[in-house]
Amino acid sequence: MVKIEDLKRINLLKDFPEHLLEIIANEAQLSIFGTGTQLMTFNEPVNTFFMLTMGQVALKRELTPKVDVILENIQSGASFGSCSTIKDTAATYTAVCQETCEVISLSGIRIKQLFKENDELAYRMMFGVAQQYKRHLDTRAQMIIKTLDKNPELKKDVEDLENLTLVI
Amino acid sequence: MVEKDVLKKINFLKELSDPILEKVGAIAQLETFDEENILFRQNQEQTLLYMLVSGKVFLNCRSASGESLTLDEVSPGRTFGVSALLGESSSTFTAICVEVSKIITLSGAQMHLLFEEDFQVGCTMMRKVIDLFKARMEMHTRQFLYSLARHPDII
Repeated sequence: MVKIEDLKRINLLKDFPEHLLEIIANEAQLSIFGTGTQLMTFNEPVNTFFMLTMGQVALKRELTPKVDVILENIQSGASFGSCSTIKDTAATYTAVCQETCEVISLSGIRIKQLFKENDELAYRMMFGVAQQYKRHLDTRAQMIIKTLDKNPELKKDVEDLENLTLVI
Repeated sequence: MVEKDVLKKINFLKELSDPILEKVGAIAQLETFDEENILFRQNQEQTLLYMLVSGKVFLNCRSASGESLTLDEVSPGRTFGVSALLGESSSTFTAICVEVSKIITLSGAQMHLLFEEDFQVGCTMMRKVIDLFKARMEMHTRQFLYSLARHPDII
């Protein structure tokens, strides 16, 4: 169990009504993880939804056995592992604590059960996760457009510009 | 109001159940836009979700240097303007009709009202959006890693 005040520090939950925060608070756990702790592993099942209240977590992928690429550094207030709340899928990145981290975690199995019992909870979580994905995709699109603007010779190598537009 | 048969031509909607389509259809409008009609501009407020039934729409973006780049040619069956659906009003691109186009429009605000009245509808729609965005995100990541592997000098 965690305090509602702690949940309110999470971006995804900041507009959640009190009655939903109470449900989440009863299910969630607050944990401290040391530097280097691996919270998720690429290609392995994601069973937990993580919300970072303190510290920094790197989301990375292996490029070569000697080189890892950091896709994103997660800061306090952000969340990751959202696919654990939707269906049983494998992780698309490895998540590693870059420093001592305070993390609120929710069991994926439990939250999927709660979604079946509470449509409002399911909708508000899904809405927040969709917004997160859109912001990430918009940021990537802006980065790619900026890069193409500075290096127009790269345009010929980009075959799927249309995927930047979020047309569905 | 837009009939179910027309809504089912839209990829994003075609797998939805008839009761959900009826609710969406009740707040949707089918409009015809002339060639060169600008539906929305980059960085301006965007309040509508667009679903192309016939015709063609270009999505353009102006870079920091002022160059215009056509990112996508939207063909019938596809949906654009998802900022309105996700409660984010600023548009990332400019949308312009390059042919006379029949388009279903849905007010983002009315969609939210529908979602608030019926959380199951909202949840179903959001799951579809997440599935599509998640797949696209993973595709970007794979391409990014592939490019880095081909150009190790960047690292």
